Amino acid sequence: MLDDTNLAETTVANDDIKIAARDVSVYYGDNQAIKGVDVDIADRTVTAFIGPSGCGKSTFLRCFNRMNDTIDICRVTGDIRLDGEDINAKSVDPVQLRAKVGMVFQKPNPFPKSIYDNVAYGPRIHGLAKSKADLDDIVEKSLRRGAIWDEVKDRLHAPGTGLSGGQQQRLCIARAVATEPEVLLMDEPCSALDPIATAQVEELIDELRQTYSVVIVTHSMQQAARVSQKTAFFHLGNLVEFGETTQIFTNPKDKLTESYITGRIG
Amino acid sequence: MDKQDQHIASVYDRDLEGIQAAIMKMGGKVEQAIHDAARALVKRDLELAETVRLRDKDIDQLDSEINEDVVRVIALRAPMGSDLRTVISVMKVSANLERVGDYAKNMAKRTMILADASPVEGTELALQRMTKEVENMLQQALDAYIRRDADLAQTVREMDEEVDQMYNALFREFLTHMMEDPRNISVCMHMHFMAKNIERMGDHVTSIAEQVIFLTTGEMPEDERPKADNTSTEGTLS
Repeated sequence: MLDDTNLAETTVANDDIKIAARDVSVYYGDNQAIKGVDVDIADRTVTAFIGPSGCGKSTFLRCFNRMNDTIDICRVTGDIRLDGEDINAKSVDPVQLRAKVGMVFQKPNPFPKSIYDNVAYGPRIHGLAKSKADLDDIVEKSLRRGAIWDEVKDRLHAPGTGLSGGQQQRLCIARAVATEPEVLLMDEPCSALDPIATAQVEELIDELRQTYSVVIVTHSMQQAARVSQKTAFFHLGNLVEFGETTQIFTNPKDKLTESYITGRIG
Repeated sequence: MDKQDQHIASVYDRDLEGIQAAIMKMGGKVEQAIHDAARALVKRDLELAETVRLRDKDIDQLDSEINEDVVRVIALRAPMGSDLRTVISVMKVSANLERVGDYAKNMAKRTMILADASPVEGTELALQRMTKEVENMLQQALDAYIRRDADLAQTVREMDEEVDQMYNALFREFLTHMMEDPRNISVCMHMHFMAKNIERMGDHVTSIAEQVIFLTTGEMPEDERPKADNTSTEGTLS
């Protein structure tokens, strides 16, 4: 029974780069929020972005599925490639991009529809289900992956907005994974969840990385340490340090990273 | 202390300072113990030997207090980076100090047994010299710890070679004495155990120095530690 002495896998299993960002800068009007960041997001890996509030980590995350397009004064420069393809190219349809690069936000934002329709919405518009039974399967599978199936299976047609905050968040995660994205962006996904739901989401993240690339922004250092294999530390719009999570949390190379992770600067 | 050295939560600083202060206190007691143990042997001072034996309880007590504090800090503060290394090193240094304390106690016990035996010429002073060397190493290791001085720690590691060589020399000397006169065997055996204890102390102090290197650089020293205790590998039985 006790013959397996291996610890949980913490190293990155592959070098395949899913997203390559080069010299990315983001401006809000005249204000530069991200200052020439280079980063490689590995495939089948969880990458955590950490840093104090306002350091630009969410802004940077939102570049990966062009969510910043929706903000008028926001301007993104530099090069971001998903599987080698420029995501900011004119030929790229942001809606298609967002099906491939899903997102979960800090605040749960279910559609004002039934629980079922919340999850079915994406697969429907992207034509992922051939039949009603197919769609039912996708909805059940997604809700299970969102660790909320048992709580909602008897009321799939009740409004999603009637769920508790934590349940709503897990519904949003289920909705995000329903389109089988290749990359899942999570912006503080657990800040509204209780410890049990948080653990369930973390378990889900670990499961997702078998197939997808996950990028998570979190204020919880412990969470970053628990779920990620790579960690990037941002400060005032700069990428200060990027490396293996174990190294970042035990032996950071940069003084600023050290100060942040040990709770010396906010 | 500049601002970046302090935690936002100042109680965290106090916790970390507290456990390191406890290590220093423990280190001081252990230094005293090995010093007194050697002195008790040379002076045949049974009272001092008894004191060394009794004081070991204080050292053990400090060790278990430090362990409890470390567990508490890990549980409550989830230390990261250099804080994590501080906490882990405190735990290991404490264990090493506790072992050194035990060896000093064992010396004191053997001193009591040897009370009436006549000294084997020169060997007791040699033991005391060896102890002084270890005491010096320990002092510098603790100094390196508190100053986060990896270079000094490296020096301490290298000093252990000297202790090992002293042990080798004593080993041969005891063998000679025992071969010369079998009546010496009992005394020499006790003396040899003491020499071995001191040699082991040196190893534990070396391990403390290695913790200092880990603490300051984040990595354990990779080079092979200089070793000169060859009594277990060289055939001296003929």
